[in-house]
Amino acid sequence: MTAETFMFVSAGGLVLGALYALMATGLAVVWTTLGIFNFAHGAFIAAGAYIAWQVGGVLAFDGAVIAGALAAVAVMFVIGVLFHALLVRPFERQSNLVLISVITTLAGAAVLENLLNVIWGARPKQIPPLAAGDLTAFGVTVSRNEAVLLVVVLVILALLGYFLRRTPQGRAMRAVAQNREAAQFMGLDVPRLYALAFGLSAALAGLAGVFIGSIRFMTPTMGSDPLLKALIVVIFGGIARFTSPIYAAFIVGMVEAFSTYYVGLYWTPAVLFALMIAVLIAKPEGLFGKYQRSVQ
Amino acid sequence: MTGAAPLLELRQLSGGYEPIQIFRDVDLRVDPDSSIGLFGPNGHGKTTLLRTVSGIIDPWSGDIFFDGQRLNREGERGSRRSRNFNYDAVRRRRMDPKAVARAGLIQVPQGNLLFPEMTVAETLSVAPAAAAGRADPKQSLARVHDLFPRLHERRDQKIRFLSGGERQMLAVGVGLMAAPKLLILDEPTLGLSPKLRLELCDAIRAIQAAGVPLIVVDQDVEFLEQIIDTLYLFDHGSISGRIDKSDMPSHAEIMAMLFGESAA
Repeated sequence: MTAETFMFVSAGGLVLGALYALMATGLAVVWTTLGIFNFAHGAFIAAGAYIAWQVGGVLAFDGAVIAGALAAVAVMFVIGVLFHALLVRPFERQSNLVLISVITTLAGAAVLENLLNVIWGARPKQIPPLAAGDLTAFGVTVSRNEAVLLVVVLVILALLGYFLRRTPQGRAMRAVAQNREAAQFMGLDVPRLYALAFGLSAALAGLAGVFIGSIRFMTPTMGSDPLLKALIVVIFGGIARFTSPIYAAFIVGMVEAFSTYYVGLYWTPAVLFALMIAVLIAKPEGLFGKYQRSVQ
Repeated sequence: MTGAAPLLELRQLSGGYEPIQIFRDVDLRVDPDSSIGLFGPNGHGKTTLLRTVSGIIDPWSGDIFFDGQRLNREGERGSRRSRNFNYDAVRRRRMDPKAVARAGLIQVPQGNLLFPEMTVAETLSVAPAAAAGRADPKQSLARVHDLFPRLHERRDQKIRFLSGGERQMLAVGVGLMAAPKLLILDEPTLGLSPKLRLELCDAIRAIQAAGVPLIVVDQDVEFLEQIIDTLYLFDHGSISGRIDKSDMPSHAEIMAMLFGESAA
């Protein structure tokens, strides 16, 4: 492998890692705050992509893609809040909430995906790149679109970290995640914070969908593969800290890029799962995990 | 002070954890500027009663009035005859813990573990949510640090690294940050060493001296005697006696009241 190929594959891995980081963080926000796994996250990704495609297509001016992306994020936030109100909140006080929410979010995912199919059809579509042209740095040429993706994801994740650690709302969200009852005694608005977590998570999924739609083709089920990868990332990295899934995402992205180059596309999922299983045998709480459930 | 409107009044309050009733027909009244103690054996429902007052669990029947407003929604709890039906999907909660806290009725729950991965300072910064503009967070924080200098020293420490005593101080501090009109302390000194106990008791006296009325649950009658005006005896899920400060009985007498003459 020449240095040039190495750089090229690494660049691909970085972009993949950034995408996975965005998706896995969104998944982890709901998982840590509400203690449930949102199987509709993949459908959120697809919905975000279609909304951006539609809005960008209707507006059709220079930079309409960006307006589309913003619209996708905003609409997905609302859809996330709705999903929480309809699919999770009615069961909040049931002792088997975790199992119930598996079923309800799976159902929600099926409904949303089929809704996308009814509205926009199954024919693959593509979002125009957020920035056209190529960019050469450190001897590799990548598309500007992928460079924008990398920068935007890092900025968004930094903002999310700032939100969770420094702002009253973000701190309140972490408090609810760590001890719901103590938060209730303190007068925190628990249902609202849960809705906020779901909305944030869906908005992050929507943004991820916009990026995926601009580098691959979109179909109503485009979210299921990324959801699986995000799941691997979250389990692989653990959720002890807000940053653990982010590190894990870049590791998984790199491994995927190199394994695609060396072992081929078909065996890559097997390589990833083998890696995940190996990590779980050695560290059941994930690579960066500690035994607890919280964001910090 | 029986003429004035009570600060907190429980009328015929019953409740528990479905389907088991824990307490029934509790009448209790806290007058403005006075404190009460709740005393009784473990496992008889004091904590469940207080959790209901704070709205963590719904009351089954009866009413809770605080500061001139009703905290629960009117009417009886609807029947929950089927165990296989999710009543939460069709019935609204009868109480909202957020509304209770924002009205100024603040509780420091028993054995509060707070938020293990958050620092002391972060926790105190979230706490004024319930104060709802009733107090300046900066002043409240200065007051908490005055009362518990230890919390200021440990401000950047995560809660899971705090000792039991420090954690309890923080729990009380969190309560104070919410600018309470009435502060409920459920076994504040549980499991503390005698030295820490005395320290915390001093702090609680200081809180009361600063004009915050209290409801205190504690097993130590001598401590209760110093801070309260009325002592309620609570056993088997209901109030079994009400004693005014003037004729506060000795520990032995209370034991006799609760467990029969032979226990004294």
